[in-house]
Amino acid sequence: MGREKEKQNPSEKALNLLRTRLSNPNFIFKPLSDSPDSNYSKLKFIISSSVTEACNNSILLLGPRGSGKVAVLELVLGDLLQQYPEVISVIRLNGLLHSDDNCALKEIAQQLCVEHQLLFSKVASFDDNSQFMIAMLRECGLAHKTIIFVLNEFDYFAQGKQRLLYSLLDAMQSVTSQAVVIGVSCRLDVDQLLEKRVRSRFSHRKLLFLPPSKEDTERFMEHILSLPVDSSLPHNYTVEFNARLKKILSDERFKELINTYLSFNSTIGHLVRFLFQAVSYLDLDVGFLSLENFKTALSSMQRQPKLECIRDCSILELYLLVCMKRLEVKEQNSYNFNSVMTEYKSIHDSFQTSDYYARNVCLRAFEHLLQHQLISFADNRGHNQSVEFRPVKLLISLAELHQGLKSYRLCPMFYLDLIKIGFWILPLVQACKLHKIPAFDSFLVCYVNYYCCGASFLPLKMVKVAFSRQLS
Amino acid sequence: MAKEEGLQVTRRTTRYSASNNAVEPTKPTEFYKPTLNDLGFRQQPLGFEDLLSCFPGRSTQVLELLRLLGPLNSPMFPVLVYGGPSTGKTSVTLQVFRHLNRPFVYSSCVTCYNPRILFESILNQLWFHRKNSGHSYSSVKRCERPSDFVNYLREASESVIDNLKGNSGKLSSKLSGQPNGTMVYLVFDNLERVRDWDKSSTILPFLFNLCDILKMPEVGLIFISSTSPDTYYLNIGYLEPIPLYFPDYTEDDLRQIFMANQVNRKLYTSFLDVVLRPFCRVTRRIDELSAAFSSLFKKYSEPLSDMEVAPNEDMKRRLFTHLRPHITTALNETFQVRSQPLLKAETNQETKKKNSSRMSGIREDFDKMDFHMSTSAKYLLISAFLASRNPATLDASLFDSTGVSDSRKRKRKASEKSMEQKKMAEQELLMKGPGTFPLERLLAIFQCITSLAEDSLDEEGSDELTIEGGSGGLMSDVLLQLSSLCNANFIIKGGSCPLEGSTRYRTAVSEDLALKVARSLKFPLSKYLYRR
Repeated sequence: MGREKEKQNPSEKALNLLRTRLSNPNFIFKPLSDSPDSNYSKLKFIISSSVTEACNNSILLLGPRGSGKVAVLELVLGDLLQQYPEVISVIRLNGLLHSDDNCALKEIAQQLCVEHQLLFSKVASFDDNSQFMIAMLRECGLAHKTIIFVLNEFDYFAQGKQRLLYSLLDAMQSVTSQAVVIGVSCRLDVDQLLEKRVRSRFSHRKLLFLPPSKEDTERFMEHILSLPVDSSLPHNYTVEFNARLKKILSDERFKELINTYLSFNSTIGHLVRFLFQAVSYLDLDVGFLSLENFKTALSSMQRQPKLECIRDCSILELYLLVCMKRLEVKEQNSYNFNSVMTEYKSIHDSFQTSDYYARNVCLRAFEHLLQHQLISFADNRGHNQSVEFRPVKLLISLAELHQGLKSYRLCPMFYLDLIKIGFWILPLVQACKLHKIPAFDSFLVCYVNYYCCGASFLPLKMVKVAFSRQLS
Repeated sequence: MAKEEGLQVTRRTTRYSASNNAVEPTKPTEFYKPTLNDLGFRQQPLGFEDLLSCFPGRSTQVLELLRLLGPLNSPMFPVLVYGGPSTGKTSVTLQVFRHLNRPFVYSSCVTCYNPRILFESILNQLWFHRKNSGHSYSSVKRCERPSDFVNYLREASESVIDNLKGNSGKLSSKLSGQPNGTMVYLVFDNLERVRDWDKSSTILPFLFNLCDILKMPEVGLIFISSTSPDTYYLNIGYLEPIPLYFPDYTEDDLRQIFMANQVNRKLYTSFLDVVLRPFCRVTRRIDELSAAFSSLFKKYSEPLSDMEVAPNEDMKRRLFTHLRPHITTALNETFQVRSQPLLKAETNQETKKKNSSRMSGIREDFDKMDFHMSTSAKYLLISAFLASRNPATLDASLFDSTGVSDSRKRKRKASEKSMEQKKMAEQELLMKGPGTFPLERLLAIFQCITSLAEDSLDEEGSDELTIEGGSGGLMSDVLLQLSSLCNANFIIKGGSCPLEGSTRYRTAVSEDLALKVARSLKFPLSKYLYRR
């Protein structure tokens, strides 16, 4: 028993280590920042030069979510704080939290107070706080201290009157102040959101964060996933783990798998999330990563929620969906529960299905569909109407419904046929009517022609019924 | 099944009361001081085998959740647990924490119905604060804004984690039943409700980005939602949490679940053989099925004198023939489920939601309940129904002063065009629902039908109608009745018409209800109903 525990220990330790690494952005972005033309170096150069030369500056860091803007910035700030410990103070704001000007200024004042061991007054007004900020900027400028403002989710600050941005950038126009404003945003057009008076005070320096290249990705994965040799983990285990990892990484199948994943989620954040999931599938008894881990991670990431919802539906709910789709095919652009029920009834009348239930049971199924968000109310008006009368719309396409029905285990073929009737026959019958071909035989000729064009074939009897119903 | 459901309910309520910091009303003087232990499950940790056997059909989900949570003290990425209602999302999550015996904070967005209550509930739990009369049921900190919440949350979780770290140093921590590890997990249940809060413009992005904002690997986040991730479309984008899907139970899973805790397993198996398949065609939701099955099983075992007996083939057949008529009726009934709100998907407006769900409630209850309504109220209801259904232009011909006009709409020749028109009108009627009407029209119809009824009731010498044509007292009485009908939601007061300026009314009573009321008055309602 004791020996078993010993044996299991390294794999658990390794798993812990990998998980800690993956949730630590500093570790992830460190190796990507050593080259001279990386964003890290550029950013560090800009900030450190404005610190040493005692000037004002402003930069925008742009890039999709998860591309490591904040992480790189934090790395730079950490380095600079070590380098110039006395002359830098960092104020961090987040647009999600402090988009309100009042709240943001309060937060700035509070952080400044903490930084400089001052007493923060909670009751200070907006004007007090903004005066305090300007005074602090001047004082720090005189003492040759740089204040770095990090505005995360910069686009949120650009909403409304932009008073904060204006007062901040305006204060930086004076010679005495010494501050750097760093805006971080995932909106590439964020500088277009700025007002004229703000834009003219903003230096239009932008750093773009692009997804990593293929070589970088590979290097990066190896860096993250391989275990350090000089750790408390047993040496043999580490060596074997790394050897196996290398084999996986060079495997063609693995490369293909990573390419499929990166083709729709290309940022490092997404890649890290994927690796995390793969790592969490690591079998503790085996203790080594395998290709299977990555495969399962990929399959659990690529979800089709609407199809899952359709698979969760009961037959009656599917029936209602089919009815709605048929109504749509018939070009009835708005429908509600009542019109769905008439369609339901008419299908039942002509085909005699076994699934015919009372109205209130159908209403409940209808509400389930609403809950699953397979359908939704078409407008927000008429809250005081009861559900039956409010117009609804389908949130799934015909193809999705078709695929869902096909993959549904117990789905009667009949429903698929119903859709086909709706999709193929109804337009045909309309055409026949237009050209005045009321005979079934001639219709069938058209139908067979159509079938050759790729429509799927239906039982003849069903076609007949559908045809006669349409003409009547 | 019943037992298991019951068990789950109590579990949930214990969590619920813990999360709301309710005080036991019996002992108001002794305030319970929560400690670190309260962040754990406070019950005996569950073994792994027990955990799996607790949830038939959910073993993949349990295993995956365990994997995502990882070994002790390892950080995690945010997880979104999703799946339809009553698929065991919340209970699996909570029981997994019971199995792991790790500290967690549970808050449901149903009970915490606005951001402030949600924030304060989380902080109260982290700071071991319990509302009581000592400090007039106030929270530990007043916290409305996300920015304050982040600051407090950071502070609180740091203190909790320090606490946990201090404890894990001691060897006795295992013995005293304290939670393991130095991670704190925040569980947000019913996340789909957040979408309705102040148009969800800030709170939802905030919650999804909370992990990045906090930057504390010691805090794990788990979101539980009954709608799939694609319904959380935010235009600011976010790094999605790792999805964990709970599919609806399959038929086999349902059988396993219903078989759990049954006294006479053989009998119940034969019962399930009969009912499960047809019911699964209608709904696969366990709460609804269990409500239906509990009454059906009583019917099924009615002919049996001995509940312990194992049924043989012949008996099964007999029982089946006995049950068959009940199945068909039960299939066509909606089972009343108390816990699920009827219209979850309906958007915000709490009061409106209440209105409409009450409306359908009335409709369903009506068959059982006999109305105690005054005669004039019944007439008023009928006239409201008529006013809603009939076009106003037809009133004159329908309520001719000479009496009932049988000369209803003459059947016109069904020309192509009129057919088309008819179809359109039919569709419009289906779409529009009952029409609105001004008060004057309602009163006019009311007077017409009451005077008619008086004529026909004269020979019976009825005095139940205290209304005489057009006296002043009558009017105020009728208006009083009208307002009480409005309060009872039979008649809905709509917005005022911009042209006429008067309030318009609408009734949502179904035709069945109206016919029933008319029957009780012996009023020939169908004669007056205009049918297209």
